[in-house]
Amino acid sequence: MNNNRLSTIELREAFFIELYKKAFLPVARYVSRMGGSIEEAQDIFQDTLVIYYEKVVSAEAEITVNEKAYLMGISKKLWLQHFKANCKNQPLDDLDMESVADQQLASGKILHYLKTAGKKCMELLHAYYYDRLPATDVTVLFGYSGTHSATVAKYKCLEKVRETVKQHSLYYADFIE
Amino acid sequence: MNNIKNIEDYLLDYISPDDALLFEANMILNSELANDVKHQENTYAVIRQYGRQKIKAEIMAAQEKLIVAPEHQGFLQRIANLFKKD
Repeated sequence: MNNNRLSTIELREAFFIELYKKAFLPVARYVSRMGGSIEEAQDIFQDTLVIYYEKVVSAEAEITVNEKAYLMGISKKLWLQHFKANCKNQPLDDLDMESVADQQLASGKILHYLKTAGKKCMELLHAYYYDRLPATDVTVLFGYSGTHSATVAKYKCLEKVRETVKQHSLYYADFIE
Repeated sequence: MNNIKNIEDYLLDYISPDDALLFEANMILNSELANDVKHQENTYAVIRQYGRQKIKAEIMAAQEKLIVAPEHQGFLQRIANLFKKD
């Protein structure tokens, strides 16, 4: 998958709308058959798209031949998790991308702090590590003079955020749950 | 910056298994490095949480756009019908 395909909010919107048209109906039918509500079907499908997006932009992603069946598979797994947990708005669990740290982290205070105090850095790191945009795209998107400058900025931001994470992990006993 | 980059190379599997083994040996000998690795791992997790919140907001906005588009009303009606109680 060429990440350029999903490098802007408009492209991603078109991508998600297409997936809704392609797979939301069978997912909703499944949730309905399992006794769920339309709101639960929407929640499940939204989380499905988050997982699918991460797959698509990851370097390891394989080309999915049957996108609809693949989305259906993720939704079924999520529904079963949701059903087992028996509570609404269960945070998205990792299906394939488990990491101990991710499970342990509490999202509240640290993320809130970073969204305000370190927004610019978070945006840059998000582009690199979550959207997995190529350095050339990040350079253009953030107005750096070249990929080297962008890469240096990335590491500086990572260091800054790591320091914040470190400080907060010392200050907040509930940071690690 | 070298410390950050070296830890990244280790955590994101950019180095060979032999180099990873060496790195792990260093962590045993250097508790400061081990702490930095732990915090950097948590940092990637925070970035992912941030990313998930953002992408979910985009997905919800796309869904909203679909809901209000007149050309998709038939499609949405079919979905709503699935949840109608008899």
